[in-house]
Amino acid sequence: MANVVPVDDFATGEWYPGYKPEHFDMPWIVDPASPFKPGDEQGFWFLDFHWSRGLTPLAATLWSGDGYCWGTQHAAESLPLPPGRGVSARFAGTHLYGSALPETDPHEVGARANRIATNLPHFLQNYRSIWEGGRDELENTWQYFRGVDFAGTPDLTDLLVKGRRYHKRAMEIHFGVMYPMLANFLGFYGACADMGINPNEIGKFLQGEDTKIMETDREVYRLAMRARAAGLSDVFDTHEPHELRAALGREPGAGPWLTEFDDFLQVYGWRAEATCDVGVPSWIEDNTIPLGLIKTFLKKDDEHDFEAAARNAMAEREEAIENARTGLTREEQAVFDAGLQSNQEANFPWWQDDHNYYIDLKVMLPLRWGCQELARRENADHKDDMLYLFWPELMDVVSGRKPYQGELKSLVGERRQYFDHWHARRSEMPKVLGTIPEAVEDPILIEIFGLNPGSIKAVQNPDAATQTVMKGVPAAKGTARGIARVLQSSDEMHRLEPGSILVCESTSPSWTPVFGKIAGAACDGGGMLSHAAIVGREYGVPTVTALGVATISIADGDEIEVDGTTGTVTILNKAATTSAATTTPAPTADAPAGVAG
Amino acid sequence: MTAADISEPDAAGEGTTHSCDAVVWIDEVDPRQAIAAGGSKMGRLAELMQSGVQVPQGFAVTVDAYSRHCRESGLDERIDAVIERLGSSPTDAEVESASAEIRQMFRETPVGADLTGRLTEAYEELCLRAVDVNVPVAVRSSATGEDASDASFAGIFDTYLGVSGIERVLDAVRNCWGSLFTGRALAYRLRKGISHHAMPIAVGVIELIHARASGVAFSVHPVTGKSDRIVVETSWGWGEAIVQGLVDPDHVEIGKADGRVLKYDVAHKRIVSAFDFAVGAVTEIDMPAKLADRRVLDEEQVGAIASAVRSIEEHYGYPVDVEWVIGRHRRAGDPVCIVQTRPVTVTAAPEEATPATYDPVALAQKYLFSGKPIPGR
Repeated sequence: MANVVPVDDFATGEWYPGYKPEHFDMPWIVDPASPFKPGDEQGFWFLDFHWSRGLTPLAATLWSGDGYCWGTQHAAESLPLPPGRGVSARFAGTHLYGSALPETDPHEVGARANRIATNLPHFLQNYRSIWEGGRDELENTWQYFRGVDFAGTPDLTDLLVKGRRYHKRAMEIHFGVMYPMLANFLGFYGACADMGINPNEIGKFLQGEDTKIMETDREVYRLAMRARAAGLSDVFDTHEPHELRAALGREPGAGPWLTEFDDFLQVYGWRAEATCDVGVPSWIEDNTIPLGLIKTFLKKDDEHDFEAAARNAMAEREEAIENARTGLTREEQAVFDAGLQSNQEANFPWWQDDHNYYIDLKVMLPLRWGCQELARRENADHKDDMLYLFWPELMDVVSGRKPYQGELKSLVGERRQYFDHWHARRSEMPKVLGTIPEAVEDPILIEIFGLNPGSIKAVQNPDAATQTVMKGVPAAKGTARGIARVLQSSDEMHRLEPGSILVCESTSPSWTPVFGKIAGAACDGGGMLSHAAIVGREYGVPTVTALGVATISIADGDEIEVDGTTGTVTILNKAATTSAATTTPAPTADAPAGVAG
Repeated sequence: MTAADISEPDAAGEGTTHSCDAVVWIDEVDPRQAIAAGGSKMGRLAELMQSGVQVPQGFAVTVDAYSRHCRESGLDERIDAVIERLGSSPTDAEVESASAEIRQMFRETPVGADLTGRLTEAYEELCLRAVDVNVPVAVRSSATGEDASDASFAGIFDTYLGVSGIERVLDAVRNCWGSLFTGRALAYRLRKGISHHAMPIAVGVIELIHARASGVAFSVHPVTGKSDRIVVETSWGWGEAIVQGLVDPDHVEIGKADGRVLKYDVAHKRIVSAFDFAVGAVTEIDMPAKLADRRVLDEEQVGAIASAVRSIEEHYGYPVDVEWVIGRHRRAGDPVCIVQTRPVTVTAAPEEATPATYDPVALAQKYLFSGKPIPGR
């Protein structure tokens, strides 16, 4: 029997000040994005962990429109997914909820099954040229934007339109590759499980392939060791991340290191701290995150041996494959070997990390640069003010049809307040809304978002705040005990100490470096193939995902145990309420580095 | 030296076994008549022996012997009277009470002098062949009729292991006859409208193999029906504790194509079927602690079992399960002894069979788009 969580509180017709429905006038295929509206309780909506800060007007509309309602729905139609039509989006305040769109008509499902029977093999046979072709196309466009002189371009209209098209095209490529790769991987996964292979071993078969994200981590770590060698450890130790750039500038002898750091940024620093969010800066725009990472690496005395970790990952992979094959009949080995080869060629867990470097972390940057240049020209109070406009308003301003000063400027002020109001409410947002099923079928929701029957049940537990033992997906094996740091977003990563246990809604590539220092991780969302699961395995950090309510049940400062082998998280000692209150920064008092504003 | 020289000189020729013979020997009966005369259990042993599989020595007390006993002793009329009294829709309690009454009649009705003579003669011949005095035997019910191989009848009829001496053998034979009238069997026939006359029972008397280890083996996976593997379950001592589900056995899976052991799960085995010399029978006792967690079979023994199962399946041309015994005196390289075999009724659901190739479309359809959770989640 389905439980219904009403959406009435959020379907008020009110949204960002000055919002009009036509602000969402964007392409969609099955269902368009919007704020919650009456009747939405018939769907099943989950709080999307990718945007735990909330989204500005421009970020909200462009991502939900061009990303989810175009990108996923387009890919779900073209592969197609027989019973699924992609993802749609709704907003409760600034917070995005997603929902999988089902195809229920049996005839349509059958017709779509016939189409995927042609298209999936074609994709797998041509995987390399399809993915690399798409990636190179995006890199070419990226190089084009790198060569553009935004300040010297008289009319920015064309650049803004092109910047949006770049993002939209990136999402076609992203989901066009992701869906068939995931289908192939999960088919292999199911076959392995049916052949009696321990499901917890299956992820290992495809691990140990280097990614651009892991390469970035090694470079950050190398810079930390260079800083130590250059005698800069004290500077890092005595300054907060946001003070470090200035402090290093004042430090005699830090010059050569800063040059190295800037060279590093030119290669690896074109990455934002969130997935496809025009509202957050890149490492180049704001050095706080990479300098904060270096600071925490310096706190650890023992050196992390990336090469040894990589060798271990490969050795573990070969051992896992050998162990699995030993228990299979000759007939099963033939299926396993062919499936493994197919998945090694089109390696979904690898792609799931690597593609972020080319797509998720940077495709919003050209649009952001254009908005910031426009803000400069319009004498806006803040360089990010244009991100509080909706797309039609932005077009009006850039084309000179409407002045920014006056009505729009005051709206931006009100919208900033609205953003901050909802940013502070993030931890109270319901994890799910609408008609909650006992189980969902969409593989992306299960394997990436972690919406399995257990977590769906967990988020409906009225006693979530007082429970001390919770079960999730055993994502990376091993047991760890430590002090919990409950983080709302990667803006708070600097609060993690070596040995901390990370507790958060979910992680994305911007979190990867912290796995070099944390002892364990516990996440509300995320399945076997989520970022935290994949990186937890690569780094050997005990990780449990899909707990549903870890950020509600666990308070900052609690002593907890993460058992990544059984998928259990236990609160051993509750933190004194006073100490928890002082270690959790009030969101409005200290604007997190990544939040526009 | 053959049994034919002593017991039935004129029955040795192929196809000449008389339907009225009270006893047929496993190694002498024409396999084409073996099931009709000796019941399905004994008949299959005869077939196996003829096809070169190692089986124990022994003979069947035929269905004719049973029918003649019932007819000549007056049991037939008394049984029919009890069953008639039951009517067509008796209560469970009435069926049980009728069953107890009939089985009591079998125990109290002595075997006629003629048949006693034939059985004594055959038992003495078995002792001679085994070079033993009062050789311990297994006395097994061996039912006939179309329904006899029905899964409903699995384990329904009596088996006595370790019976020694002609008096005890005769008692065991009469008990086996009576087990044609257990409550379950009676109820089954009433429900199906089958007369007990349509499925007379034979009884096997076979040399008891002194078991070091025993077990069952399936030429397909007994649950999933997957035909690419052989599944073996085993424990120390005789197989009764396994067949009756009294012990959690070691579980072994073997690839059929190449004979590789795919997995060997050692169980904690609490009960063992062992020979009790005081009682003169195999009974179930607590497993000695030092044996409980020890792995029962080595690679060579697993290979010998798998080899026997493969050749039995090839002989019949359909999947089989078998009961096997490894005797105390078996040496590496010797075949294992097969004491029972029958067809496996489980067949693989098409979606559970191991796919022939890696087909990403079919797998995605099966695991992602079927609306069922991915296994192992």
